Amino acid sequence: MAMDVVGELVYPTVGLLGLYAFVSLASLVWEGVDRKLVARMQRRIGPPILQPLYDFLKLSSKETIIPSTANFMFTAAPGLALATAIALLAYTPVGFTPILASKGDVMVFIYLLTLIGFFKILGAISSGNPYAKIGAAREATIMVSREPAMMLGIFAIMWRLGKLGVDKPFSMGVFYVHNIWEIGTPMSFVGAVILLYVFTVWLASEIEVGFFNIPDAEEEIAGGLLVEYSGRYLALLKLTNAMKAFISASLVVAIFFPWGISGYLNLTGLSANVVDLLFHTLKVFALLFFVESVFRAVTGRLKITQAVDFLWKNVFLASLVGSLLIAMEVIM
Amino acid sequence: MTKVEYWVKMPFGPIHPGLEEPEKFILTLDGERIVDVDVKLGYNLRGIQWIAFRRNYIQIMYLAERMCGICSFSHNHTYTRAVEEAGGIEVPERAEYIRVIIGELERIHSHLLNLGVLAHDIGYDTLLHLTWLAREKVMDTLEAIAGNRVNYSMVTIGGVRRDIDGKKRRIILDMIKYYREVFPGIEDAFLHDPTIEARFRDTAIISKRVAMEQGAVGPTGRGSGIRDDARWSERLGVYPDLGIKPVMPQDVTGERPRGDVFDRMAVRIGELWGSLELIENALDAMPDGKIKTFPKDNILVAKLKLLVDGEGIGRYEAPRGELVHYVRGKKGSDKPLRWKPREPTFPNLFAVAEGVKGDQVADFVVAVASIDPCLSCTDRVAVVQDGKKKILTEKDLLRESIRKTREINSNIKGDPTPVGSSCSR
Repeated sequence: MAMDVVGELVYPTVGLLGLYAFVSLASLVWEGVDRKLVARMQRRIGPPILQPLYDFLKLSSKETIIPSTANFMFTAAPGLALATAIALLAYTPVGFTPILASKGDVMVFIYLLTLIGFFKILGAISSGNPYAKIGAAREATIMVSREPAMMLGIFAIMWRLGKLGVDKPFSMGVFYVHNIWEIGTPMSFVGAVILLYVFTVWLASEIEVGFFNIPDAEEEIAGGLLVEYSGRYLALLKLTNAMKAFISASLVVAIFFPWGISGYLNLTGLSANVVDLLFHTLKVFALLFFVESVFRAVTGRLKITQAVDFLWKNVFLASLVGSLLIAMEVIM
Repeated sequence: MTKVEYWVKMPFGPIHPGLEEPEKFILTLDGERIVDVDVKLGYNLRGIQWIAFRRNYIQIMYLAERMCGICSFSHNHTYTRAVEEAGGIEVPERAEYIRVIIGELERIHSHLLNLGVLAHDIGYDTLLHLTWLAREKVMDTLEAIAGNRVNYSMVTIGGVRRDIDGKKRRIILDMIKYYREVFPGIEDAFLHDPTIEARFRDTAIISKRVAMEQGAVGPTGRGSGIRDDARWSERLGVYPDLGIKPVMPQDVTGERPRGDVFDRMAVRIGELWGSLELIENALDAMPDGKIKTFPKDNILVAKLKLLVDGEGIGRYEAPRGELVHYVRGKKGSDKPLRWKPREPTFPNLFAVAEGVKGDQVADFVVAVASIDPCLSCTDRVAVVQDGKKKILTEKDLLRESIRKTREINSNIKGDPTPVGSSCSR
């Protein structure tokens, strides 16, 4: 059987590269917009909107200092983290069904998302810096506390949407076939609102702002995970962080606000995808405005014990309740 | 089976983003829990007392002012009081009122600065920027009165240098009006914000016993329930007439003092209001008259040469706590034989090092900021070796630092002689 080389290999690769170029640019621009907005909220002028882009270019050309205590993983981790983020893009719903969407790809999504954090931890503990080690311990602690609530919620939603009838259950494409608000019962509506709260808090803890700016706490542990990184490695990690924020926000947007506008404009094919991607980016920016900019302007960071308490006792419980409410009429 | 504990020693400083000034702490950690704190002083030494050996009474006033940027008035004022006591010099009443006004203006700017730093240390940058925005007003007021935002040079031995006339009085009244509008917002943000409460309540508790043992002063001592304020307990100058009383945490929060970061912060917020009231009262009660005993500095130098014979101690409640200056002079000399400032940060630092044990790493930087440390004031050096005391000069320190650099890295080449001409002492 002859393989359709163009359809199976070339199109996805080109699509992924294009998506990578767009998302890295958009996420860096968002970071600039966020810094500007927060600065205005704090009665400051703030940096130019393209400042993160300038920083990235500047850092790429700066000297890279590698501590004598560091081992091989210190230099490998930033590249691996960025590679993971790029691979993750192929499974991220960005306004249309992901490029490599298949049955059960939600597992890959969660796996790759956690892998980014894992590589960051690996790089930090390989640096030999005590502050980085404290940061790594904090990152690991907060990671195991925030992911269960998200996993429970996303599995419950996907399972419930699968019951409405889809080709590929547990695929990221499900959200563009049915959405959470279509289930229709009052109970499920309440459940969806609770899950929206869960996913918003999860998003804030994933991008580590406000309450959850704990692993990178600048004043406490001098930058934590990033303390020893400089030059192009820092640039790579900063880009990874920005892309991770975009990807995590994309998930929340896809679950709760999946609507596109290409249908209204009678577009098909590539142009529909481009329009949907742009509209999706706008929605991501709007969501991040509330979850990142406003949240970090009106809160300070918690202690790690308080954050873990909050994530388990409040967010995980809410996720449990929301999932049960959504799944209720199918179970009973 | 015995429990194995993995304790780690971690340096915190000398250079650290959470510390405003270089100072080193060695934290012994059990995971995130702080087991022990070792305070290493001496990273901000400038040899102030040694410099003072070569200066006369007037010149030391400028030196004292430049010990620290935040409490520049306090040092100058306290030193002046010490010399006045040693020389038996009377200060005109109007000068005392002007001293109160400048001192309280300085307290407002120092406390607003510290509140901002506290907020910054928990990553709450919005509050930092808003409090420091409010602080600009008092800085502008000080500039309008004294001509400088930081080193005011308002005090001189036997009075003050500049008068507060009708125009300056209006500027101060304007400022008071502005702060009566702004302070409720700041107070509300700091006392009722959930993040602030979660981070500051029950953090770095200094019990009353520890505070007594370590001699904690100022907002640190009052936060732990010690009712003491040098302006009140010493009946300093005209303060008793203006209705001074120590601000305790219960006056602000309405709860019993617990000695945590929140209580120390609450005391500062209470003192902001107290300072406004004192300034208003002082402006109302200020009598007319002259503002200094000796009209010219050259007369003052000549008089001090004759008058100062013996010891004098000046005490004043600086924004950080009780400040003491000791001056001993001899008749016929135009410079003191001994001048020794004792800063509030010194006892407070050890009190908080004791209080932070058992808390988390995250609390440490907040705990240090909560005493509003002024480390440039605190650092002094006297090397005692084999029972013999010797004082290190600039040359010695330079030689020692070159030796240490060579020891760490012998590959470093370069000319160790300082660039440019140093002060010819």
